[in-house]
Order: sequence, then C-alpha cells, then structure tokens
Amino acid sequence: MECLIGIQFKDFALVAADMTTAQSIMVMKNGTDFVVSDEQKIHKMSDKLIMAVSGESGDTTQFSEYIGKNIQLYKMRNGYELSPKAAALFTRRNLADYLRSRTPYFVNLLMAGYDDNTGPELYFIDYLASCVKVPYAAHGYGGFFSLSILDRYYKHDLTEEEAYILMKRCVREIHKRLIVNLPNFKIQKVSKEGIKELEPITAKNLATEDADKA
Amino acid sequence: MNLYLCYTVKKELESILAYNGGAIIAMKGKNCVAIAADRRFGIQAQTITCNFQKIFEMGSHLYLSLPGLATDTQTVMEKLRFRLNLYELKENRKIHPKTFASMVSNLLYERRFGPYFVEPIIAGLCPVTYEPFICNMDLIGCISPSNDFVVGGTCSEQLYGMCESLYEPDMEPDDLFETISQALVNACDRDAISGWGAVVHVIEKDKVTVRTIKTRMD
Amino acid sequence: MSSVLVPEIPAPGFSFDLCQRNNFLVKKGFQAPKAVKTGTTIAGVVYKDGVVLGGDTRSTENTIVADKNCSKIHYLTENIYCCGAGTAADTEMTTMISSQLELHHLNTNRIVPVCTANAMIKQLLFRYQGNIGAALILGGVDLDGPHLYCIYPHGSSDRHLYTSMGTGSLAAMAVFESRWKPDMTEEEAKELVADAIRAGVFNDLASGSNVDLCVIRKGSVDYLRPYDIANVKGQRNISYRYKRGTTAVLNKIVHPIIIEGETVRRLETEPMDTSS
Repeated sequence: MECLIGIQFKDFALVAADMTTAQSIMVMKNGTDFVVSDEQKIHKMSDKLIMAVSGESGDTTQFSEYIGKNIQLYKMRNGYELSPKAAALFTRRNLADYLRSRTPYFVNLLMAGYDDNTGPELYFIDYLASCVKVPYAAHGYGGFFSLSILDRYYKHDLTEEEAYILMKRCVREIHKRLIVNLPNFKIQKVSKEGIKELEPITAKNLATEDADKA
Repeated sequence: MNLYLCYTVKKELESILAYNGGAIIAMKGKNCVAIAADRRFGIQAQTITCNFQKIFEMGSHLYLSLPGLATDTQTVMEKLRFRLNLYELKENRKIHPKTFASMVSNLLYERRFGPYFVEPIIAGLCPVTYEPFICNMDLIGCISPSNDFVVGGTCSEQLYGMCESLYEPDMEPDDLFETISQALVNACDRDAISGWGAVVHVIEKDKVTVRTIKTRMD
Repeated sequence: MSSVLVPEIPAPGFSFDLCQRNNFLVKKGFQAPKAVKTGTTIAGVVYKDGVVLGGDTRSTENTIVADKNCSKIHYLTENIYCCGAGTAADTEMTTMISSQLELHHLNTNRIVPVCTANAMIKQLLFRYQGNIGAALILGGVDLDGPHLYCIYPHGSSDRHLYTSMGTGSLAAMAVFESRWKPDMTEEEAKELVADAIRAGVFNDLASGSNVDLCVIRKGSVDYLRPYDIANVKGQRNISYRYKRGTTAVLNKIVHPIIIEGETVRRLETEPMDTSS
C-alpha cells in the first residue's frame, strides 16, 4: 500500500515517500497535521546518504535504525564513511542474512546517496534482498503508475526544479489512478551539499496549483 | 487480451526460479568459449532495470552466471568469491574451471534440503592448457559438463531449441559470437520475462571480448 | 552475522538455514523448483567370473532432457562401481563415499569387500530417512568373488544375481527374466545387460541416448563409455550458421589478457648424492 519513489540525476538524487501511517484498513495519520514531524519512512543514514523504507511496520523502524547505527559505527571505527555502494551492499547482506534467520525483516528499501568520487547513486533493494543500482525506481503499487511516467519523462540532466516537477507528475498520477489514498509525499534531495528537505508534495498544494492554472 | 494476462500470471507463479526472470547460454568454440545473458531485472511482470549484471568474472578466463532468484544470485556470488579468493590465496595459483565447478556444487549441495534458487552456469578456459570448459548445474549442485552448449533461466526450453539447431562444433570466435547471440535473442523473443538487452562475453586465450547487443525492448 | 571483518568458517555438513525462507515462499504460492532427476534405466548381472553394470545416459528435468550424455556409473574403489538412479546430485554425492572406502582400503591394506561398501552406503541413506533420493546398484568383485547389490533410498538393500532399477527397470527386468542364465560368459553378459538397457532406452521416455557398461573382473575393470551409441543425432544437411555481422552490436569492449613474459624452468634431475 505504501509508495516510495527514487530518482537519480546528474548532480543529485530525489527520494519521495508517502506520509501515510496505516494499520490494517485504517489510516492512522497521513501527514496533514504538520505538528508532529513525520520522520518515519525516509531515514538519514549519514551526511550524504538516505534510506527510504516500506514494509511491515515494526520491521521498517527496527531495521533502518540497525543499519543506520551500524553505518555510523563504521565511520567512528574507521574514520571514513561507507560509500553509498558499500552501504547498499552492507544493507543487502544484512537483509539476506536475516531472511535466513528465525527473525526475517520484511522491508523494501531505496537508498540514495552522494559519492564524492562518482556522484549521486540510487539503489533498489526488495524484501528478498536483491540489490540493483538504478536511475529510477519505485516500491509499492504507486510504482505501476510512476514508473511509466518516469520512463517517458526522465532525463539524466534535469535541474532541481525540473526534477521536482517530474516528481509532482508521478504523485499526480498516483492520486489520479491509485485506489489507495496517499495524499502527501515527503521529498528529500541528496547532493554534494548533503541532504535537503524539499517542500512536501501534498494533495492540497497540487489542488491550489491546479486552481491557479485554471 | 484477458487470456494472455491469465497465462502470464500463471506462468510466473509456476516457480520461484521465474520470480525475477532471465536467460543464460554458454557455448564452446574452437579454443574459445562464450557466455551470454539477458539484462532484465524484474519483479514478476514489473521490469525494474535493464542493466542488471548476471555474468560475473571470477578470474581472467573464468566466468560464472547464476540464473534464478536474484537475491540468491547475489548471495551465492558473494560466497563463491570468498571461497575462490581463499582458494587462490592458499594454493597460490589460478583455479581450474572444473575445480571451480566442484566448489560451486559443494556450496549448493550443502543446502540440499533448503536450496539456493539458482542454476549456475560456468564457462572458462583452463589456466594452464587453455582448454575450453562449460557446464551447468541444477539448484542442488549436480554438475553436468557439456561438449557443446549449456543453457539456463526462464526460457531454457526455447534456448535448447535454438542451440540444438544452430550449434556447430569448432566455431571461430566471431562465428561463435554470432551463433550464441542469435540463439539468445530469438529465444528471448518467446519469453515475456527475459530479454531487454543482452551481453555476450567471448573468452579467448589472449583476450575477452564483451559486446552488448541490440534486442527487442518489449 | 557477516558484518564482522572475517566471516566465520561455516560448520561442515548440510545447512538448513534456507528452509524457513523457502517454506515461506512456497506458502506464498510459488512452486519450489525441482532438482535434476535421472529418470533412468540401470542394470547389473553377475556372470561367471565377474559383474557387468550398465546404465543409460539421459538425465531429465521434468520433461526436458537436461543432459544427453551423462555418466551414471560411478567409481567407488578399484574393484567396486556403482550405478545411480534418482536425484542426480544425490547419486553423485552419495558415491563420494569412495573416499572413505579408499581410507578403509589403506587402513586394512586389503581389497575392500563389496559388503563394506553396501553397509556404508545403506547406513548413510538410512540416516537421512529417504530424503536423499539415491537408488543404487552396487557391483564389485572381492576375495569372495562377484557381488551385486541393490540399494533403495530408504536404506534397505538386497543381494541379487541380476537386477535393474530406475524408471526403466521394468523394461530391463523383462529382458533379464527371459534371457538370464547362470554362469554366462563375459560376452553373453555384456550383450544381455546392453539389451536390458536398450529396452529401457527405447521403451521408457525418461531413459535415453547411449548405453554405458562397466565390466568388473578379478583384478581388472573395463569401463566402456559409450558401449553402444544407441541413438545417433541426424546429420544436418545445410549449415544454419548466421553470417558474421548479423547481430546488431551496441558496444564492444575488448579486455586483452596480457601475458608479460613466460618463463619455463626445466628441472634437471640430479643423481642422488651417495658420495659420503
């Protein structure tokens, strides 16, 4: 039911995640009350690395914290950080090992990071722990709609504004076609400068935009 | 329309080996071997990427491919690379493809009762005599070495058909490339969950030629 | 977990760590893949001064022929060989017991009795309660003369003068029942076993291709592979070879493997120094 979207460009990567907390068939919260900060699906791993997580509700927090803290620990022990690739492979291996244990984690991940040598990178990891480097990817039912939008409009060298518009296109399509109610999306950008929170794409914002246009 | 849809869904649920899709061939030529794979990575019917690596270089003349469930492809490859590095450090020499096949077989048979879902294919030249070697295995490590070609993945039926009619013994590297590519490309046309680009490695004594080839993208 | 710098060396033997995950996948509706089976005809007879073992050379994966010329007669010791039917990997790995038989041979310094090999294999199979799917025909010659055993996957075994196993065993047995007689000559025995295997090859769909034989006499073994090419692939009248340049190449990278100098050092054998 949840939806994560990640896109990698020439100088940065964007990750979007819906802000809905659902339990069974009920929506507990969908990010409209901005009083509580909704730091729940996109996690900061290090200065230039974020991980978006969806899946079983307990597992997502537990697993992302475990990975996040281990990446921090690695940095403290060795004095240098794991590159996004190394972090993705580390995560994959842990997920694969847990999958074979008595306590498997059921989580789908997107990892976006900026490598000072090779630039931005995006990794797609599913709950079976297959890991692939991709230009763009999505988890959840929203993927069925947003991936085709991305196939059509993705360009490697978009600017931040253009990328944001592209992301809005994806969200619009999800609003339009997906039966599940996912009104609000949180967006983060990773680049040379680090992690930057962009303005969330909400149903309200999109509606005002449409009204302005009309 | 609906009929087609029903059929594909049923086909995908048939086996875990068909969860991610993929097609691999290896062929023997004259003093050379070739190994080819498609490049699709998908989750059932949804294609995630078209540049997925399925052929791994395990030595200068030794290549391995692990068609099957992608997570196991990656895990098994990591485990094998570890065992291989340890072997080469201990023995201080390059591994023979036949020995490497036993190593893979051992790793898989260890999990006889809870297998990794991969059906490995190995292609290489002997590091001493440069004699070609290819083999494939089932998911619990039964090695079957071959004198002509081996295939694996979701469209192995189609690949067998193509290879049986196209293969000739003692082909030169360029002809071998043509044969293996056409076999792969045409077999993938009849499989919904493999294709989307292909990569062909031709391994000779003095060089390895890697070509990415044009395929249908549907 | 593997996050430590050097992964621990795993314990030897079977590992069951994937079982739970695989059961989970099966429960989700995925069908677990099947291992290669040797839908097989294997047979053996005792003749006047030895044993003849035979097998076909087809291995199948469901209805697909996985290998057209596989070898089903496995080496155990110098005087004992073993035909395998069932799950291909299991027959292959079960016959790895040959290393233990070799150790037995070195420890006792005598020819390994066939009954020892039989006991070791059936104990191994019994331990796994039929989960190792190997059906074997064990044949050999020791100090007591020729012996032929039939070993079932659950760990039972019989002694026979002639026997067959695998999916084509009925066809093969029909040949034996009509034509077997005691104290045959070697040629008679070879032809009888070959005919039994051919009966399997032509009447059983899961058996096919060639006939392999192994003749074990006191002190010598003939491993005949192939004894008879029962099915020859038709000759192709024209070449279907594609012209060079047919395939559209998107990009091509050549990785040269440069051998920087090659030195061959010949070792001269020096005579042993016996001067002092």
